[in-house]
Amino acid sequence: MSSAATRSPFVESQLAAPASPLPGAGVPWLDAARREHLAAFAEAGLPTKHVEAWKYTALRALAQRKFSTGDAQAAARAIDASAFALPGVDGPVLAFVNGVFRADLSQLAQLPDGLELRPMSQALREDPEPLRFTLSRYEPEKGDVFVRLNAALAGDGVLLKVVAGAKVAAPVHLLFIGAPAEGDVAWHLRHVIELGEGSELSLVEHHAASGDQRHLGTTCTDIVLREGAVLHHAAFQDAAPGAALIRRTKLHLGARSHATVHVVELGAALARHDLQAELVGNEARFDTRGVFLLHAKQHGDTQLAIRQQALNTTTDSVWRGVADERARGVFRGAVLVEPGADGSDCNVQNKNLLLSEQAEIDTKPELVIYADEVKAVHGATVGQLDERALFYLQSRGIPQAQARGVLTAAFCRTVLDDLPNAELRAYLGDRLVAQLPA
Amino acid sequence: MSSETNDSTATVLRDNAEVAEVLGRQYSAGFITQIETTGLPPGLNEETIRQLSAIKHEPEWMTEWRLSAYRHWLTMEEPKWAHLKLEPQDYQKISYYSAPKKKPKSLDEVDPAILDTYDKLGVPLHERAALAGVAVDAVFDSVSVVTTFRKQLADAGVLFCSMSSAIRDYPELVQKYLGSVVPPGDNFYAALNSAVFSDGSFVFIPKGVRCPMELSTYFRINAQNTGQFERTLIVAEAGSHVSYLEGCTAPKRDENQLHAAVVELVALEKAEIKYSTVQNWYPGDENGKGGVYNIVTKRGECRGDDSKITWTQVETGSAITWKYPSVILRGDRSVGEFHSVAVTHHYQQADTGTKMVHIGKDTKSKIISKGISAGKSNNSYRGLVEVKKSAAGARNYTSCDSLLIGKKCGAHTFPYMEVKNPTAVVEHEATTSKISDDQMFYCRSRGIREEDAVSMIVDGFCKQVFRELPMEFAVEAKKLMEVSLQGAIG
Repeated sequence: MSSAATRSPFVESQLAAPASPLPGAGVPWLDAARREHLAAFAEAGLPTKHVEAWKYTALRALAQRKFSTGDAQAAARAIDASAFALPGVDGPVLAFVNGVFRADLSQLAQLPDGLELRPMSQALREDPEPLRFTLSRYEPEKGDVFVRLNAALAGDGVLLKVVAGAKVAAPVHLLFIGAPAEGDVAWHLRHVIELGEGSELSLVEHHAASGDQRHLGTTCTDIVLREGAVLHHAAFQDAAPGAALIRRTKLHLGARSHATVHVVELGAALARHDLQAELVGNEARFDTRGVFLLHAKQHGDTQLAIRQQALNTTTDSVWRGVADERARGVFRGAVLVEPGADGSDCNVQNKNLLLSEQAEIDTKPELVIYADEVKAVHGATVGQLDERALFYLQSRGIPQAQARGVLTAAFCRTVLDDLPNAELRAYLGDRLVAQLPA
Repeated sequence: MSSETNDSTATVLRDNAEVAEVLGRQYSAGFITQIETTGLPPGLNEETIRQLSAIKHEPEWMTEWRLSAYRHWLTMEEPKWAHLKLEPQDYQKISYYSAPKKKPKSLDEVDPAILDTYDKLGVPLHERAALAGVAVDAVFDSVSVVTTFRKQLADAGVLFCSMSSAIRDYPELVQKYLGSVVPPGDNFYAALNSAVFSDGSFVFIPKGVRCPMELSTYFRINAQNTGQFERTLIVAEAGSHVSYLEGCTAPKRDENQLHAAVVELVALEKAEIKYSTVQNWYPGDENGKGGVYNIVTKRGECRGDDSKITWTQVETGSAITWKYPSVILRGDRSVGEFHSVAVTHHYQQADTGTKMVHIGKDTKSKIISKGISAGKSNNSYRGLVEVKKSAAGARNYTSCDSLLIGKKCGAHTFPYMEVKNPTAVVEHEATTSKISDDQMFYCRSRGIREEDAVSMIVDGFCKQVFRELPMEFAVEAKKLMEVSLQGAIG
């Protein structure tokens, strides 16, 4: 708990008035909700390592830093949009620079049938009322102070809706660019995504940078899949080497819906991703594939938390981690099967490679099971490449260094195997390989 | 199993008179022994600790050691991280010392009521012990009642006595090792124990000696409103070997009794310590009333190179189990093992597991944990495997399996892996499942009764761990499992 006297420089800096007025400011219920969240954030302060969810991710350094609340110049910064195009991703684009929507970098003309897509800032200015329930909703998750901060200061984000039965073929590109600014900026985005009954959507979440900076970005994403909806979500995190990025993605899966999430984490000095899924409908299915590849002094922390609450739900998670140099990789894969959630099937597999004496991996696969008709399996390993595989390749005349490279690349690329978008799969695979030590 | 099958199973079970008898069978160690005891009134302050120390004729350094632990304890809070519903304790309501009034000088003088108690429990105190080949230190409430085979052991050079006598007779050894593995301020309960521990066992195996017999301690809480705070210290000098067994029971009482013990093991170069526990404290009744809170800090340190510590535990009793027997692998090439079966039924709660801390080079650890939950119980495995930067070539293998019997119980796994050395290999795997309908159908079609089939399947599930127990304990463990799981199906 922090009083005014003991607040960290970080918390103090976030209590300052926003650089430019937040979209939606002046709407009474929104002002009230934002004030409440900001007060709760100031009261709680940043979590210490004694908070279980932050045990392996120290925020001491962040707590000592100051960030301006938003970037007033974000709309004017020169950005070359073509630099951020992704192969195989040719649908609508919604782009943000330092947390501010940029119409000039976005591609929202001729949206496919059944797709509603616009920035939250626009909705807040035009007609905030439909967002009232979503944005004023109180979400007191223990230790989740960044959700508070986000709720208090996010003025923009993605509003996406696929109407029932619509199948949107072209992947939607959500682009978040960190651009160098006069000082360190903290930006916050709130995304609300809904897939109607029987609809289908392919989504690419892309974090990138137009130059090195040390901004802090937080995103809160809520994704709802109604009955029978199908979502392919690929998240490619390629933020600036100095950036701090704290994300929370929460999926709510209805009956017979199916979400597949692929995550590739390459950038940022501090990248924290809370990926949460609630399987509330019978026969919902949630598959995740993810990899982080860390070097220098990067700190990557993925917290996967799955709640299986209905009958015959299935989750399958395959995560890989590689830590080199002085990097530290953290993974938590928790599955909770609630009472009565019979027929639940869950599998979490986490494998990690440590490539250097100074690197560290902390992994925590958790199972909390309250139903007996379940099949729950998890496995986790930390180690090196398989010596036998290495020997095999060497015996075929491949030099050791190259053999290591091939095996490490294969180790990481596994998670992309079932990414349906072939061009994107190839691109992400190449980016992974490019970041591996030579 | 579908709910229809469940119902029909229940009907079959109710109709079967034999099964009804089995279902009715209860905690058999739940009797109360009527003997005169002396003790301290409930309450805890510096004065109680001084009195306790005075009753035990302890030297000044020991009193001071207790007091400093107590002062540290006052600054601490009860840990809340375990997956347990544990009401805060009132530490002023507990009596910190209870002892049989008559002080025995030899086994013949021990109060027959106490001998009778141990007889009922099947602890071999007399010559029967010789047949069983087990030397026993029996702890009744707070004090050690007898230690058998002291002379035979002394001939081999082995010191096996109560902690109280050790403090008097071998102060330099106790001073050297006590608190060296579990420091007095290690955690809330260890600090409390350090302040108020009443008795326990002390074992010292000198250099190169292979202890000629299995050593054993039997703990029993008898008096009302007492806590049992025993402290065990085992030191195995270079090249020595010892196998130690521990068993526990308590009478049935409606109140919860606290048992907060500390066990420290020190293995020097090439020494090996095997520590086995069969824990059968009173688990409370089928409505969750009463039962022992078993809150124990157990830790061993492989201090010398090539040393080995093995923990084997069968946890069937206690309303609450909070216990993580750990190994600090400091010596190069040292080995730590943990084999555990934890069974919970009715409203029992267990949060148990281990810590393996790899510090030395080429250290190895193995963790095999089997959790069985039935009734409305919750059973958690919580473990840490930590590989420090210095632990080149460290190797760990962990396997945790949970078996669920019934719809209202929970089985949970919380493994932590922290790896700081790139040459280490750490592996963890876990599964959670129930006894499958196929397995049951197969057994039933062969004419095996439902209860027997469950018992057989559970036995197979636990075999890997039972194999690690000394033979006489393995038999006891198997029986305890059967008793614990009675009425679990249906």
